[in-house]
Amino acid sequence: MDLLGFARGTGLKVALVVFCFGVAWRLVAVALLKYKRNFNEPRRSVAHSALGGLLTMGSRSWPHAEFIPRTGAGEALGYSYHIGLFLIVLAFAPHIALFRSLTGFSWPALPSSVITIISVLTLTLFLAVLFRRVTNGVMRLLSNFDDYFSWFITASVIVTGLAATAHFGARYETLLGLHVLSFDALLIWFPFGKLMHAFYLLPSRAFNGYLLARKGAPS
Amino acid sequence: MALRDRDMTIGDALDRNHVSRRAFAKFCMAAASAMALPPMVGKAMAEQLRVARRPSVIYLSFQECTGCLESLTRSFTPSIEGLIFDVVSLDYNDTLMAASGAAAEEARATAIKENYGKYLVIVDGSVPMGDGGIYSCAGGRSAVDVLRETAKGAAAIVCVGTCSSFGGIPYADPNPTGALPVSDIIGNRPIINISGCPPIPEVITGTLLQYAARGTLPDLDAQRRPTAFFGNSIHDRCYRRPFYDQGKFAKSFDDEGARNGWCLYELGCKGPTTYNACATVKWNGGTSFPIESGHGCIGCSEPGFWDKGSLYAPLSAARWGKAGEATSMESLELVAGGAIVGAAVGAGAALLGRHRQNQLIGGNEPAAGVARAPGAGPEVTHRQEK
Amino acid sequence: MNSPPTADLAPTPAARVQGAMRGFARELGALSAFRLDSCIHCGICADACHFYIATEDPQYTPIWKVEPFKQAYKRESSAFAPLVRLFGLKREVTAEQLGDWQHLLFDSCNLCGRCSLICPMGIDVAALIEQARHAMFEAGLAPPELYERAALQSRTGQPEASTEPYRDQLLAIGREHGVVIPLDLAEAEVMLCVPRTDIEHYPDAVAALARVMTHLGVRCTFRSDGLIAENYGYFAGGRDWQREISLRLIEQAVACKAKTLLVPECGHAYTALRWEAADLYGKPLPFEVRHVTEYLGEQLQAGRLKLKKADTGKVTFHDPCQLVRKGGVTNAPRELMQAMGLSVSELQNHGGFAFCCGGGGGVIDLKGAAPLRYRAMAAKLREVDDTGAQAFLTSCSDCRRTFDDAREHFRWDKTPHSLLEWVAAQLAGPQKSQP
Repeated sequence: MDLLGFARGTGLKVALVVFCFGVAWRLVAVALLKYKRNFNEPRRSVAHSALGGLLTMGSRSWPHAEFIPRTGAGEALGYSYHIGLFLIVLAFAPHIALFRSLTGFSWPALPSSVITIISVLTLTLFLAVLFRRVTNGVMRLLSNFDDYFSWFITASVIVTGLAATAHFGARYETLLGLHVLSFDALLIWFPFGKLMHAFYLLPSRAFNGYLLARKGAPS
Repeated sequence: MALRDRDMTIGDALDRNHVSRRAFAKFCMAAASAMALPPMVGKAMAEQLRVARRPSVIYLSFQECTGCLESLTRSFTPSIEGLIFDVVSLDYNDTLMAASGAAAEEARATAIKENYGKYLVIVDGSVPMGDGGIYSCAGGRSAVDVLRETAKGAAAIVCVGTCSSFGGIPYADPNPTGALPVSDIIGNRPIINISGCPPIPEVITGTLLQYAARGTLPDLDAQRRPTAFFGNSIHDRCYRRPFYDQGKFAKSFDDEGARNGWCLYELGCKGPTTYNACATVKWNGGTSFPIESGHGCIGCSEPGFWDKGSLYAPLSAARWGKAGEATSMESLELVAGGAIVGAAVGAGAALLGRHRQNQLIGGNEPAAGVARAPGAGPEVTHRQEK
Repeated sequence: MNSPPTADLAPTPAARVQGAMRGFARELGALSAFRLDSCIHCGICADACHFYIATEDPQYTPIWKVEPFKQAYKRESSAFAPLVRLFGLKREVTAEQLGDWQHLLFDSCNLCGRCSLICPMGIDVAALIEQARHAMFEAGLAPPELYERAALQSRTGQPEASTEPYRDQLLAIGREHGVVIPLDLAEAEVMLCVPRTDIEHYPDAVAALARVMTHLGVRCTFRSDGLIAENYGYFAGGRDWQREISLRLIEQAVACKAKTLLVPECGHAYTALRWEAADLYGKPLPFEVRHVTEYLGEQLQAGRLKLKKADTGKVTFHDPCQLVRKGGVTNAPRELMQAMGLSVSELQNHGGFAFCCGGGGGVIDLKGAAPLRYRAMAAKLREVDDTGAQAFLTSCSDCRRTFDDAREHFRWDKTPHSLLEWVAAQLAGPQKSQP
């Protein structure tokens, strides 16, 4: 069995199972901890508060005007590479073919050359983000193994994907095999590190948006 | 006195067949250019070949469908490929030779003896090893025995076709005959693999021509295939590549995309991971190749191509389950199964977490400041800003 | 009262850690676990915190203030906690670490909630800091100024001893200002309480409260046994004391069958009573809790409160964090100012985005915190100056105290005014009679 065959066969199978297993474990383990009841008098009804929660899921993506001068550049950097990653993952025809084989769903793709351009931009932004994490005092203080390793694994996927497309560095099948293998590694690591923020993002904003809306407070 | 066949030079053979020097030179230039060699080399090749003695060739056919030989002999190009039989002295080929039975085997033995160390062995078909090798026998002898015996005095072995190069169709799961490629059996002789199912005729003849002219092996890749023909993937030379880059794909056979000649990636084309000359040299004297005819490459020149998943599943599709293609239901089962088990473990973890939490909280909490553990008062000094 | 505990009462490091872990564990629930798990170490919360902005010191990053809590959570109760412990991936929290964090959790945080608004993951960082304070209290690491006031207030109802009991001082204010101070009525619609800061420093505000309520003709009362609005248990992080202090007011409100407990111009008192008291009580409160600003805004909307126009120059308004950003009472102050015909020039960061005065969360009471507080306040004072307003109003007495302290320290030319006092000065129409 060659590298590519393993990576996209057994490797992917194992990775998907570990991913689902780990994500479910992590979410359920938190969800079943203790809950405190709220007895205080809310300012808004439950429906109104729930709506507030839903709106906060989206509105937190754009910082409030008062915060933009200090935080705009950093947030723009972060969101930009996320958008790049989403486009690469979801709008590149071979990736869509993978999703179709797993789920049966597919959707139109962007031209592959456009994806190449986006990939180069995304990788550049991704390197910039690491540079920032290492040089910015706040981020350096906060960062731990999880931050750097999650970056590394994600970067591996991007780099190997670009290398495979560009046939740069080794035979195509080897590069493609490394690309799929790095994706397998990302899936396996996913539940254990900060990549879980993909699952936490919307519920976290929703809960806190709900609690703020309940008080009539800005969110 | 007519020269014995094996004393004839190639030039003599060509003259006998009324092939002009000019025609032969043109043939050599064409072959050279097909191998990306400069024109001067073609000219030199023609001159060298004319005076070269025709090498003795023993052609062994084992577990094969004869497609490779058909490809070679059914060529359209008028007689030039047929000429190859004048460039070599085909001393043994059990499909083509007129003799049969004991006479044929004797011809082979004679050729081996007379040309020991200098003859070329061409093999097509895989070699079954199961049950003592009985699954491919001719003249009461197994393929593996014939191969080992014949290989002993060979100058080089040329494996024609994916079966002899990599095992091919017989090698595919579950490989009931225990088929092996030649290179897994013979370890001490130079081997050239000309893979393909079948290989392109010009690829076979070009490689043989170069060997005949130079007497040395051509540049080979890691899988011992001549890089002149197997150095690039189909994808990298495919004329439909611009459509791949633009994201224009045929979604089903004979749909609008297919009729417009768009890329066949989504219909299972294995071009990106297949190395061969189909996209440049093409088939039937340069007429067409599978992609040009509207069917994706099936990767037939690659090892294990038959076990690498459905011919029609895109290269990036997940690959497990029946027929090597993941169905949505199978992947759903995997996901659901993993998630359910994970949720159960998570519930256990939550219970553990709560238990730990309760342990840390301890028994009845003393009201702060009243019945607190002795000494749990405030910090006496207050730490200042650093 | 203020004798510091003797050395042999100081807890051992192990006892401190045990106390902190007990405090963490009491606080931990699915919601705080989810918040702790959601942090992606982006550091954006630092950009909202005026302590970080003023110093550019990374240790003041809001989420860093709860780092020991996060560490303990991951080790003890997170999804993979058994693996974390098995492989030693997170160390146990140490007493030294807790000691280092006292400065971060008490000196460099006003519990203002600005960080909770900026977090892209939607984490309520301020809530986590509040919970971490509870753990610090259990570890015996609440600052003495807060601890002692909380201890005294939970025992006696007063955070500080006074020469005269506050109830007598309250009545004295009434006499001096010629206002009626209803005290210890058996039944009332509205129960009043008063910030201790106002009794001691801003008696005009106390009088203004009484005057306005009398004018509105509302049957209201103060209660001697539940007089003080501030909750030092809240500041110190002592949940049990916080509960006892709130219970005082709750019991008195129940005793006089009040329909509304009116919180005076105080920010944290509003948070403690409106949003936290019921949970400590264990069931919904049998009355509404309203802040006086909010209440007056309601009266204004209902047409029961009429105000004369005031002839002043430009004013600006400082939004108390607990009232506006965390309490949702954004519009009432503006409605009242508009009704008084004031020309309001808003601060650059106003409404729910206003910077804290710097004294919130008990910081105004911490002497050791003063140098950092002044650094953080400088930008706020500049903002006030930049509006070109001659006067600035607020509706929290501790904010007033903080700004007055800054006025002395920086020799600043402005002094904070009480919105309530101005409203009381602009009452229009006849006084309504009580029902």
